[in-house]
Amino acid sequence: MTQTPLISTTKHLDHQVMTTPAPALAIDAQRIIKRFGTGPLAFQALTDVDFQVARGELVMLVGPSGSGKTTLLSILGCVLRPTSGEVRLFGQDVARLKDSDLPAFRSAVIGFVFQGHNLIASLTARDNIAMISRLRGRSSRQARAEADDLLAQVGLADKRKRRPNELSGGQRQRVAIARALAGDPPLVFADEPTAALDATTGHEVTQLLVELAKVHSSTVVIVTHDNRIFHLADRIVGIEDGRIVEGEIHGVSGAQTQVHQHGVHS
Amino acid sequence: MNLRRHRIDPTSPIADRLRRARKGMLARTFATIALAFRMMFHDKPKLVGTTLGVVFAVVLSAQQLGILFGLLQKNTMFVDNAQADIWITPPGTNQLQPGKRLSESILVQARTTPGVATAAPLIYGTGSIQRPWGGSEPLTIIGLELPATADTPLLGGPWNIVAGIRETIALPNGIFLEDARREKMGNVNLGSVREVNGYALTAVGFTWGLLPFGPPYSFVEAKLARAMLEVGPEEQHFVLIEVADGFTSDQVAANLQDRLPDTRVMTKATFHDAIVATLLGEQLGITFGTSTAFGLLIGFIIVALSMFSSVLDNLKEFGTLKAIGATNGDLSRLLIVQSILYATLGSFIGLGMVGFAAEGIRSANLAMIVPIELILATPAIMIALCMVASFLALRRVRKLEPGMVFR
Repeated sequence: MTQTPLISTTKHLDHQVMTTPAPALAIDAQRIIKRFGTGPLAFQALTDVDFQVARGELVMLVGPSGSGKTTLLSILGCVLRPTSGEVRLFGQDVARLKDSDLPAFRSAVIGFVFQGHNLIASLTARDNIAMISRLRGRSSRQARAEADDLLAQVGLADKRKRRPNELSGGQRQRVAIARALAGDPPLVFADEPTAALDATTGHEVTQLLVELAKVHSSTVVIVTHDNRIFHLADRIVGIEDGRIVEGEIHGVSGAQTQVHQHGVHS
Repeated sequence: MNLRRHRIDPTSPIADRLRRARKGMLARTFATIALAFRMMFHDKPKLVGTTLGVVFAVVLSAQQLGILFGLLQKNTMFVDNAQADIWITPPGTNQLQPGKRLSESILVQARTTPGVATAAPLIYGTGSIQRPWGGSEPLTIIGLELPATADTPLLGGPWNIVAGIRETIALPNGIFLEDARREKMGNVNLGSVREVNGYALTAVGFTWGLLPFGPPYSFVEAKLARAMLEVGPEEQHFVLIEVADGFTSDQVAANLQDRLPDTRVMTKATFHDAIVATLLGEQLGITFGTSTAFGLLIGFIIVALSMFSSVLDNLKEFGTLKAIGATNGDLSRLLIVQSILYATLGSFIGLGMVGFAAEGIRSANLAMIVPIELILATPAIMIALCMVASFLALRRVRKLEPGMVFR
């Protein structure tokens, strides 16, 4: 894992790492193109995107609305296929994986934190988390024990029997983080995790995600344009008009400046 | 881009993790079932609405079928209870209705056919009983021959006797009447004398519930019936057969048919089925079949729309489940489990209501019959119906892109 906060954008990564699907890379996406629709209405959301993330790294993908960051996250999260290009997650080419293998792959490898928490309304906090483990084939008892442990880690041990509508926005997002970390997924993708939260709660929740991801040795990619949390990243990658934006970012304030240069409205 | 799809690389560093994820199908299935329950019972208005849809379908269709079975039973009750193993009827007979009369020689030939223990004539016709204060009430008159010994079955005789004994039918001008029609027949009691088809008859016994689709059954001795219905002394409408020990009904019926080619010989079961088939093939089947089908159709539509709208309401949740690793198979199982639960819940409530209704309306005039076959078949049919009804919802869920959770 890269330890220094001085992180380069993808094009400055070591060439050897880029061209060889080495296990050291958690994510290795190359020449990703994503086009929606056909004919005159076709819209190209991503153009020749190269994106690499080392194991254990925490990368924030920043860019203005419509820049393609969520599309890229969807492709990396195996919920959307690229039009062309190669996506390797831990060496596995997922862009051409069979449709029937994708759910198992997502379930085993990826944890998701969504913008609007996306908890199942009918399930308690504990069962929302346990559901992930049970979908991975673990017994109810094991899944519940793990869920209780994760709820304790996010500070909601006493809220395990509450349903989402009985929790505050911050608490729901904490449950969502615990759910994303259930089963220790090696990859966690978070899509605008602070969007629905106030500044303080958003910061707390992201801080929690970062800390727990380190505890669980997960590689994390966070899509955001919330500059208040940039300092928590190991590396910030800019994206604009479907292309990765080059440039070096030094520290938190540097990230903010860099983002402003690329038109993020923060 | 090479679109050829390939499987997960077994040498991949995450292959073990994937292998583990694929195991535990049972746990996944239980998780899906548990989730199906939770989602169903969480959305109570939808649960109530969908269940009511099933209840409505069950009540309407089971009640219609119950009444149909009741009506069929009314039409077959005589054949079922006449104690005859075999019926010799005029050719072309499909219903218990008087047709061409059978001659004495048929009765004699039947009595001498191997396997026949008893052959008795049955006179069948309609009449009317005069009320003391005027007016009359129609009757179905059954004329039967009393056997020589008390231990011999009284072929074509009354059953469900609530007053009197069967031997009293042999009393001069004696008649068995239907208890449920006593008032309509002029408050008739045991010993009451009433005019029937111009004959002064004495009520010597009463039956209960012997009300066919037409006028109630009444029983008199064969000679009296012949006189009342103007049937010649060597004529009868039907010949009823009791099969001797060691013979089967089918065997003896075949023998009789060979010997009596100008008649239609039917076993009790065959005659029963012929009556049912004739009634179902005519108006009764069409009327009740249509209303039953409408009941099922309405239930189907309610369940289909309700489940589809439930999926639409919870699209984000289904998308999330797909994104976090639930397969189309998992979600299909979830919806199928829900459809089974709706069907089972609705069937039990509906059948309970039909059961209460059946008890409530049970009378000699109208019996709603809910046989065990109907009770067992209803949940099975409703489960099949609800599973088919969930097709729209299933289709929507299967087409759902997990990527929608990021939009």
